[in-house]
Amino acid sequence: MKKVFLEGAISPEFIADSIAKHQSKHSIGAHNIFLGQVRADEVGDQKVVAIEYTTYEEMANEKLHEIREAAFEKFDLTCLHIYHSLGTVKVGEICIFVFVSSPRRKQVYEATEWLVNKVKEEVPIFGKEILDNEEHQWKVNS
Amino acid sequence: MITVNYFGNIAEATQSNSETLNHNSMSLAELLDLLNSKYAIAQFPFQVAVNRKIVSKQQALNIFDSDEIALLPPFAGG
Repeated sequence: MKKVFLEGAISPEFIADSIAKHQSKHSIGAHNIFLGQVRADEVGDQKVVAIEYTTYEEMANEKLHEIREAAFEKFDLTCLHIYHSLGTVKVGEICIFVFVSSPRRKQVYEATEWLVNKVKEEVPIFGKEILDNEEHQWKVNS
Repeated sequence: MITVNYFGNIAEATQSNSETLNHNSMSLAELLDLLNSKYAIAQFPFQVAVNRKIVSKQQALNIFDSDEIALLPPFAGG
C-alpha cells in the first residue's frame, strides 16, 4: 500500500524532491503534475482561511489502491504518485499532489485528469472550511 | 457489537467519531432508523459504507456482529 496521506500542507520541497527521485528512471519521457491549492473562497462576508481535512483512512486506502490499479490498466504509465493532506492546510498551501510519468507525453495529461477526478469523486475525504470569524462550513466537491 | 463510524458534519451531530451498538444483528433500515432517532441524521446528505464498501441506503441488507458501518457525508478531497 503506497502512502498517500501526509499531515499538513504538501511543501514545495517535498514536490521538488519527488521530481528529483525520478531522474534515475530513464524510460520516462514525460511527467505531468497536478497541484491543488486551498483557495480563499468568500462565504457571505467571511473568507475561507484554511481547510481541515479528515478521512476514513482504511476505506480511502482501499479505494486509492483500486484507482492506482485501474490507472495502470487504462494508461501507459511508468509510475504514478498521489499525495493528499490531512489536518490543517492554510489558503495558498498545497493539499493534493498528483504526479504521473510515462514514456510519452499524451498519456500523462489524460491520466492526471482522470486520477484527480477519481480522487475527488470516490475517496472518502472530508474538508472543514475554517472562516476568518472562526466559524466553519463543510466543503462539498462540485 | 456493530461498529458505526461517523465523519464530517455527521460526526459533529453525533459528537463522536465512532460508537459500538449492542446488537448482534439488525437490518440496515433498522440501523438507520435507530441512528436517526438518536441524532436526526436524515437532515444530512450521506452515503453508507458496510465493511468499507458503499451500499445503497435502500438495500435490503442485514448487518451482523463485527460489521463496520460508516456514515459518509459528501466527499471533499482535493
